[in-house]
Amino acid sequence: MTATTSDSAVTVAAGAPAPAGRRAGTEWSEVILKIYIGVFFLYLFAPLLVMSLAAFNAYEYPSVTQWRGWTLKWFGELAEDDRILQGIVNSVIVAVGVIGISLPLGLSGAFILTRLQSRFNNVLYATLVSPLLMPGIILGISTLIFWGRVNVSGGLLLTILAQASFIASYSMLLFMARLQRQDRVLEEAALDLGASSFFMFRRITLPFLMPTILTAAVIAFLQSIENYNTTVFAIGGDWTLVTEIGSRFRFGLSPVINVIGVLFVIVTVAAATLYTIQKERERKRKAALK
Amino acid sequence: MRGKDVRLEDVVMRFGDFTAVQKTSLKINAGEFFSVLGPSGCGKTTILRMVSGFIEPTEGSVFIGEDNMRGLGPARRPTALIFQNLALFPLMSNWENVAFGLEARGIDRKTRRNRAFELLALVGLQGHEEKTPAELSGGQKQRVAIARALAVEPAVLLLDEPLSALDLKLRQYMRAELKEIQRKTGVTFIFITHDQGEALTMSDRIAVMKAGVVEQVDTVDNIYANPKTPFVATFVGENNVLQGKVAQADKEYAVVETSQGPLRGLNQDGLSAGETAMLFVRPERTVLVNGVIPDNSFEAHFERRDLEGAYVNLFFKTDAGPFIVHEANRGRHGDLAGAAKVGFNAGDAIVMRPGEVDNE
Ligand SMILES: Nc1ncnc2c1ncn2[C@@H]1O[C@H](COP(=O)(O)OP(=O)(O)OP(=O)(O)O)[C@@H](O)[C@H]1O
Ligand SMILES: [Mg+2]
Repeated sequence: MTATTSDSAVTVAAGAPAPAGRRAGTEWSEVILKIYIGVFFLYLFAPLLVMSLAAFNAYEYPSVTQWRGWTLKWFGELAEDDRILQGIVNSVIVAVGVIGISLPLGLSGAFILTRLQSRFNNVLYATLVSPLLMPGIILGISTLIFWGRVNVSGGLLLTILAQASFIASYSMLLFMARLQRQDRVLEEAALDLGASSFFMFRRITLPFLMPTILTAAVIAFLQSIENYNTTVFAIGGDWTLVTEIGSRFRFGLSPVINVIGVLFVIVTVAAATLYTIQKERERKRKAALK
Repeated sequence: MRGKDVRLEDVVMRFGDFTAVQKTSLKINAGEFFSVLGPSGCGKTTILRMVSGFIEPTEGSVFIGEDNMRGLGPARRPTALIFQNLALFPLMSNWENVAFGLEARGIDRKTRRNRAFELLALVGLQGHEEKTPAELSGGQKQRVAIARALAVEPAVLLLDEPLSALDLKLRQYMRAELKEIQRKTGVTFIFITHDQGEALTMSDRIAVMKAGVVEQVDTVDNIYANPKTPFVATFVGENNVLQGKVAQADKEYAVVETSQGPLRGLNQDGLSAGETAMLFVRPERTVLVNGVIPDNSFEAHFERRDLEGAYVNLFFKTDAGPFIVHEANRGRHGDLAGAAKVGFNAGDAIVMRPGEVDNE
């Protein structure tokens, strides 16, 4: 971030060889900008910092003010907490299921809306996007009632269906944005060279969609993992990590929850770092080719 | 020779109420370099898309060889199209681009790779096989597109203004290159362009179109020497136009009474006395009168000259409009001023029924 600020400072200085009075004004606005960025990051990271510290505090409740000394015992407790561990596994199962349903559904919807220029496009679009505007609770309850009629009761399967009903809309919006940018002439060229529709899709359209498929999968995964409102109604006797944490609120939290938080932060940072390194390597390889 | 002939029989193409191509019948011979020439929006691409199968004609039929193409999609026609913007696949290497048609036909990787390398060599792109299209220059991309189209061994190659994006030098080079490829392969080429120079230098025959109507189909020589309509006369090459009423006419010649006096020309449309007419004469068939007096001559006001090196264009103003004389540069045009006498022979001028001219 500091790099960005100094960059913009350079642009300002280079772009405006202004009189001395202007110069002072520029410095002021720079100071304010820096303070703003500082506050912004404090706001963003302070809670994470507090939460992480509490995971290492030898005190019954998550706290940093009541400091009882450093400990790793909460990590040990997490390793023995079967409900939490099972909750993580369940969350991943649900997330994978949601990806499996949302991506094909979202892609189909996007194709229909971008390719078939039907008179009903507007109505169809509104219908397919409406789950995003619906409160999660309502989606959860209506899923439970609807599937209850056909004797599917609450559980992981129903949670997958309930979550997919709105996450598919997110996928659809992503795919639509991508498909609208596609050069349709490429598909015509493929057909002209003798490709069947299926071959064209596999060789031209799918590779073009690949980055969006990955993005949509990541977003669906994150949406699913963190979902509470819809899940809590559809989950029945089962549980996910989030519903488990939710239900423990009633009895007061233990720092085990903070340990989970710390682990999530580590995983996220590690993934982001790996991704950046990978991108950089690719860029260097490309540059070396030329 | 693997080219096939292409026939359009009473073909009409309408989009809603708009008729993009009026009733047209055309025969393009096997192995011919055929150009469709016309201004922007006249329906050239539409004709190409009917032949390649992306659209079906509203009326009439397209035949390739003996076969009626109705109902066959682009994948099942023996044609390959080179798109106006090339449409190379950006995520594939150049050789994969070229091999795409073979891959679609289920040919194994080793065979199609070898074939793609051969074709890229044919178009002079050795060493660029593993690069992607984004890493090539405009002319090189052009050649990948040609190789990709040739890979499926089409009987008919359709080219939609493929040279329009290139700079002049490269365009001239690629013209020769395309001509050479056509000669080597014997494939029927249908080449679309709005550049009359391009059409004249490359083609065996040309169809000149205007607003959905094919005005004339003929050999390059005939299109230039014997244009059938005022539009063709002015769109292909330069032409001087003089309007008036026919004063007298026989089978061969007609005399048109113009603001420059009576002028005689070939009576192409068989006009008779009293009808309005347009008389066309090419600048290179006119002279600055100097001793020998041609069949027709009149006074005109000299405006300026453009020196082209070996040739000069002399621009005159007349009551009938501008008049251009194109002459070999013999070093005697320097001191022209004011009025001068210009003229031409009757056998070099064509008298036609009036019509729309191309006014660029
Ligand atoms: N799918 C379509 N729907 C409606 N009108 C169309 C369609 N395709 C073409 N047209 C119209 O038909 C006419 C001819 O179009 P076409 O693309 O054949 O022109 P062109 O001669 O290739 O022009 P250019 O030299 O600019 O490429 C144009 O007026 C165009 O607007
Ligand atoms: Mg066109």
